[in-house]
Formats: sequence, C-alpha cells, structure tokens
Amino acid sequence: MAPKSCALCQNSKAILRRPKTGQHICKHCFFTVFETEVHNTIIQAHLFKPGDRVAIGASGGKDSTVLAYVMKTLNDRYQYGLNLFLLSVDEGITGYRDDSLETVKRNQEQYDMPLKIVSYEELYGWTMDRVVSAIGKKNNCTFCGVFRRQALDRGASGLGVDQIVTGHNADDIAETVLMNIMRGDIGRLGRCTAICTQGEDMIRRSKPFKYAYEKEIVMYAYFKKLDYFSTECIYSPDAYRGHARAFLKDLEAARPSAIIDIIHSGEAFELKEEVRATQKSQQTCKRCGYMSSNDLCKACSLLESLERGMSTAITDKGRRKLEAQGLTPDNMRTIPYFHPSSSVDAEAES
Amino acid sequence: MMAEFCGNPAVEAGEVLMPRKRKFDRSRICVKCKINPGNLVIRHSVYCKGCFTPLIFTKFHQALEPYINHVSVGPRRGALKPSGALLIGFSGGLGSSVLLDLVYQRYCANVGSDNLKGGREHPRKNKVWQKIYVCYVEVSDIFPETSDRTAQIREAIARYDGFELIPVRIQDAFDRTWWERVSGGAAPDLAGLPFDLGGGDSEPVAALQTHIRALPTPTAILSTLSTLTRLLLLYTAYSVSASHIVLGTSLTSLSISLISSISQGGGFVVPQAIQEEWFPQFVQRTIGDTSWNGEVRLVRPLRDVGMKECTAWVWWHQLLVVGKQRIPVPKQTIGDLTKNFIIGLERDYPSTVSTIAKTVGKLAPRGDSRVRCVLCELPTQQFVQRWKSRTSIRSFTDDASSMDTATSSLPHYLCYSCHTTLTSKSARSTATLNLHSSNSAPALNLPMWAATRLALELGSEQSVGPGAPANEIWETKKLDDGGMKSLVGEFLLENE
Repeated sequence: MAPKSCALCQNSKAILRRPKTGQHICKHCFFTVFETEVHNTIIQAHLFKPGDRVAIGASGGKDSTVLAYVMKTLNDRYQYGLNLFLLSVDEGITGYRDDSLETVKRNQEQYDMPLKIVSYEELYGWTMDRVVSAIGKKNNCTFCGVFRRQALDRGASGLGVDQIVTGHNADDIAETVLMNIMRGDIGRLGRCTAICTQGEDMIRRSKPFKYAYEKEIVMYAYFKKLDYFSTECIYSPDAYRGHARAFLKDLEAARPSAIIDIIHSGEAFELKEEVRATQKSQQTCKRCGYMSSNDLCKACSLLESLERGMSTAITDKGRRKLEAQGLTPDNMRTIPYFHPSSSVDAEAES
Repeated sequence: MMAEFCGNPAVEAGEVLMPRKRKFDRSRICVKCKINPGNLVIRHSVYCKGCFTPLIFTKFHQALEPYINHVSVGPRRGALKPSGALLIGFSGGLGSSVLLDLVYQRYCANVGSDNLKGGREHPRKNKVWQKIYVCYVEVSDIFPETSDRTAQIREAIARYDGFELIPVRIQDAFDRTWWERVSGGAAPDLAGLPFDLGGGDSEPVAALQTHIRALPTPTAILSTLSTLTRLLLLYTAYSVSASHIVLGTSLTSLSISLISSISQGGGFVVPQAIQEEWFPQFVQRTIGDTSWNGEVRLVRPLRDVGMKECTAWVWWHQLLVVGKQRIPVPKQTIGDLTKNFIIGLERDYPSTVSTIAKTVGKLAPRGDSRVRCVLCELPTQQFVQRWKSRTSIRSFTDDASSMDTATSSLPHYLCYSCHTTLTSKSARSTATLNLHSSNSAPALNLPMWAATRLALELGSEQSVGPGAPANEIWETKKLDDGGMKSLVGEFLLENE
C-alpha cells in the first residue's frame, strides 16, 4: 500500500494517526496543530496579559514537562510577554520525588526558568512518609491532595506570581465531569470545566492543556524527545476514580472524540439558579487565612488531626468529632498565615 | 524505589478495599407496613409485595400527573384536564411493558366505578384521557437480520382494552407520503438547495440505508435510530392531536441515557433527556400564549422507578414482555459501554443511578437555547463549529470565524451532538461524509423534517441562523525512548 500523505499539509508522508481526530498526519503538522490548539485555548480564554508572572506547576511528569516546553515555545513564538517560573512541591516521599525533581531541575537549566521547590516538611512540619506512618495507607492521598493545593498557592505567593498553570489535560477534565455527575458533587461539577479557577484573594489557576489529549501529550514528548517520569496510579481497583478512568478509556476506544465531547457537555450546562443559591460561599480560614468553606480550611483540619494523633478529620463528620475533643492545644503546630502577595511586591523584594 | 505506602494493594487487600455494604439497612420487615416480611430490597430498603404495588403507583403518578394540565401548577391540584390525547411510546421492552400496564391500571381499568377509594377528582372517577394511542416503531426493514415484531406487539397491546396501536416504520422518516400525512402539508422540493440532500434515493428504505451507510461509527448508527424514533413518535403524536407522549424510561435507563448523551456531546440538552416540550417546526407560537397549539409534552413517568422494580412489577403482575429489538451493530457503542458500566456500578453502589438522575436534574443549559437543530429538533448552541475547529484542528484552510455563519453548509444547522454523530470517526471508520458541498459524494439523505426545514430556511431568504484525589498511591519510573514509544506505538504508522 502506498504511504499516505499528510491529511493537513498534503505534502509530507503521514507518520502517525492523530489520537484526537483520527487523521493521518506528518510529525511537523502534529507539532503545529498541538501547539496551535494550546495557543487557541490561551487566547480564547484571555489567560494572560503581557508582563504576567506565571508559575508552571512542575512535577517532572509528562503533563508538566510538556507544559513547560510548550509554554516556553508559545511565549517566544507569539510574544505573550510572560515571565515564566517553575514551581514544584516536594511531598517528602522517599524515592518518589527525588527522581522527578531532577527532571524539573534539568528543565530549569534547559528553559532558563527560575525554580522554587516548596516542601511539605517546611510548610506543615510533616512529610508524607511521616503522615503515612501515623495514619496508615488508607486516605493518605486526601492529606497529600489538600496539602499540595495549598503548597502550590503558597509557593506561588512566595514567587510573587499572578497565575499558576497546571498540566491538567482533557482526559483529567472529562474524567472529573463524569465522576462528579456519578457521585452527585454539584459544587465541583459546576466549576470543573472552567479553564480558570480563582478563590477569593487566591492566585489564579489555569489549565492550558484543557483540550489536549493525554495520548497527544505523550506523543509530543516522544517526538520532541522530552524525558519525564511516568506516575501511574496503581491503587484502589474498587475506587470511584478508577472506575471513571477505565470507562473513559473504553469510550475513547469506541469513539476518540468522546473525551472532547464530554468536556463540551460540561461547558454546555450549568447549575440551575435555585441550586446555585444553596451552595456554600467561600470564606477565609480563621487560622491560616487560606480560602475555605468552613471556619477552618481543610489543610488546617487535617494538620490538627495529625498533630493531635487522630486521623479522622477527613469528612465533615470527622471534623465535628475533632471539634468535640476540645480546644486546640496552644503549642500545636499550625500553618503560617497566608498573605497573598502581588507581583509588584515580589519585584520590589527581588 | 517505591515509597513505603506504595505497595501492591492486592497484597494488603484487607486494608485498601472498600468494605461491602449489607444489602438492607435495618431488618427484614417491610419498611412501609412494618408488619410483613420483606420480599424486595430497593436501595437498602425492604418492601413486602403488598406495599410494593402502591409504592410504584405513587412514583408513577407523581412523575406524570403534575404535568398533565397544559399550564402546570406544580403538585396536582384539582382535576386532570389534558389538552389532547395520550400517546404511549412502546418498544416491547421491560420499561414500556410496565408503563403500558400502569397507564391501563390507573386510567382505564374500572373507570367510572363508584365503589373505589379516592376523592371526587380521582382519575378513576372520570376518564382523564379521551383517547390513548400506542405507537410502535419497527426497524426490521433496515436490518435484514431482524424479524418484524409488529404482530407480537399488536398481540401484547390487545390484552388491554382501550388502546389503539399506531405502527410506524423507521424508514417513514424518509417517506414523503408519511410526512404529508403527519404534517398536513406538501413535502418540500429539494432541488434548489446549495447542497445535496436527496442522495438520489426516492424509496424510503433505500434512503435510510444510504444514510446509515454514511455514518462513521456504530455509536452513530444507534444514536441516529434513537433520534429518528423520537421524532417519529413526536410527529405521530402531533398528527393524532396528542398533547402528551409517555415513555417507559426507567431510572436505570434514564441514567444510562444521560451519561451516554453527555459522552456524545449532548450536555446542552440534558434537561430534555428528562422531560421535553416539543412543537413542530410549522407551528407558530406566540410568546406568552398559554393556549395549546399542538405542542407535545414528552414525559418519562418511570423516571423514579429502577430496572429492578420494573422487573419485580412484571414478575408479580405476570406481564408478558415482548423484548426490545436488538440492533445488530458490529462493534461496541458508547450506549452499550455506558449501560455495562452503569449496571456494573449499580451492583456495588446501589445509589448510583439515582444520584446521576438527581444531579443532572439540577442542571440547566448555559446560554440561549431558542434555536433548534434541523436533525434532532432539540435546542442548539451558537458557534459550535467555531468551538470544534478551535479545539480540534482538522484543516489549515478552514477559517474558524466564518464557519458558524456559512449558511450554505449543513453543519450550520446542526447541534454539536448531531454534527459529531455525522462526522466523528473511530480508528476503523471508513465512511466519510461531506457536509459542506454538493459536488463530492457521498451525499447525505436527510429525514423529511430536516429537509423541509432546510428547504424553508434556504428557499426563502438566506437567513442568518444559529450560528489528586483520594485513595491513590504512585509508582514512579523513568520513561526511556522505548517506554514512550510503547505508549504511542498504536498511533505510529511506520517505523518511526
């Protein structure tokens, strides 16, 4: 069979079938469409303005490694005028972060971007290794997820950036849409397809890879010869996210557009007004100043439960149980108060 | 090296697996009468056979009767006075068999008897529906592997007095005679349109087969048949002056269809997947006019009744279920995958289907929804083509900004889902449709309602129309060139 020519440029020989569209295209056109789609996403959502200081959440995994590369490329090509930084979180997991942080450090040199690493130990006084030794393997990712979110914000605040970009891809978002519907989480369902999220006084977060398929990110890394560390979840075959992920992969196999179709669906609906009115409004944590739905933010609740030798403050019920135990001891370690700083302040400091 | 807590969960299954819940909450005694031993567990609650029947009746009429009067006033107050007849969409499947029985028991059996309980306005005291039709859509002409089941359906319906069967064939959607009959007007002349709609097939069966052959995936075939069936029911209801259509969609089927619809890009119309107010394209409606002008309200009265309850109803009431026609499609479809997934999930998490339906019930379309798709006649958003071309570039020559205003191309008149149905290919798709011009084959046959609307739109003036989570642990490994290649290998065409 004669080799097919590229469905986009019609000139070169097609060497790959594009996961998103099924088209047979050449390598050069693949780079072009991948980068242009990310650029379209950025422009359409008005993500940046010239002079913005932007931190790239970098874990050393595929998404953030490709994101750092693409952000650098687009910033140069389209003259966004951004000051880019790399921001990593060290959870304190022996053997896990050591290697991937090396990738991030290499990216720092390759792309000439300043790097900041925020560690759980420095911020919370607990590494994940210690958390697990205290609470066991069950639910440890609740602690890790909550701590990471706040750690990123605090790291970004330290860098004085206007925005954090993360490597969340189309598969992650489609999976979240399905999962939130299936477990009835209307609060998250209402905001999970937003390209930009921002709590009150918090640093803007956005997802330039919102429409980029995971397979295409891997393909981009492969052709660009970017090295990264794969981080595969191998836990909880019975857990909800695992179900949703496997289901999404099946849908993608039946019709590759399913991922982007789910995102389109998620963007096409919103909560009814009467439902929105019942949602809890955001406030500020009384202890650390971070955004929160309750008096205490999730990170402070979890940290208190660790400090007091309990591991039950994960659910609302657990939090109430914690409160019923009595007042917080004076000498207990708490998270430093959060003062989001502006880029002007940061520049003045530097 | 892996972290201490990143071990193999299978080894420590006792700690990481979710504990399986008991099938019922408290005791084996019926939660309703608190006397009899239970016969059925419905989402952790135990019911006896005697309490089960009124429970289902209550769920049925609570989901239907508030919507019978043309101007709904919430929970039913006073008499039920529908504007027109009732049409039951009957597939022969489990849900529609239960629905048929419930409609008969509630509105036909013993009507007019004075010896029954209930107030003056109870449906049994006065006949609510002057006429009840049952409409069955037969698909066997399109799929030679299937047999015509109209006679079996006729037999199943004949068991109930007072129902009139209207058999419809799926290819009627492409039949000029059928269209002239239901619409009361002449079928359109498609000759002058800027793109080819006829496909050259004058025979309805051939026209539909051409349409189906042009579809790129098995998912698209089932989705198209479902759309055609829905529109055939709606236009048939209109033609017999029915103000309501009821479908036997159970809670389980509803959840499956909601997830399936969302997975096919139908997020904008999820409210319609639960309940729909439809009117034919040729009916002129005035804003604020509350009188009935032939609109059809599509209701799913079994939307709170799960598949398990339907099965129990059939068993305890000794109903005969003809069975739903299985469409022979070669590969797994999104609908099949969703069904398997939801039913599997329901086994471990019995509240799943109810949660899905409740969650989706809290959603509304984002933005304006006045414009309707020519194919499915559901509301559509503006600028869907622009969105598609921006997020998935398929050509370097398309000008995204002009795509939504190019009124001479069919995509301009399609909703996101229908456009995806017609164009989204799988890895093995061979069919290719050209929706933009008339000079390249294959042309697309369109159902009569779509062709008529396009003829009207394009025939008059060139109108500007629509335009990290819990419970995860991680294993980390550096990916070398070979590792990366293995991940993308299936997409590489040669020894790249």
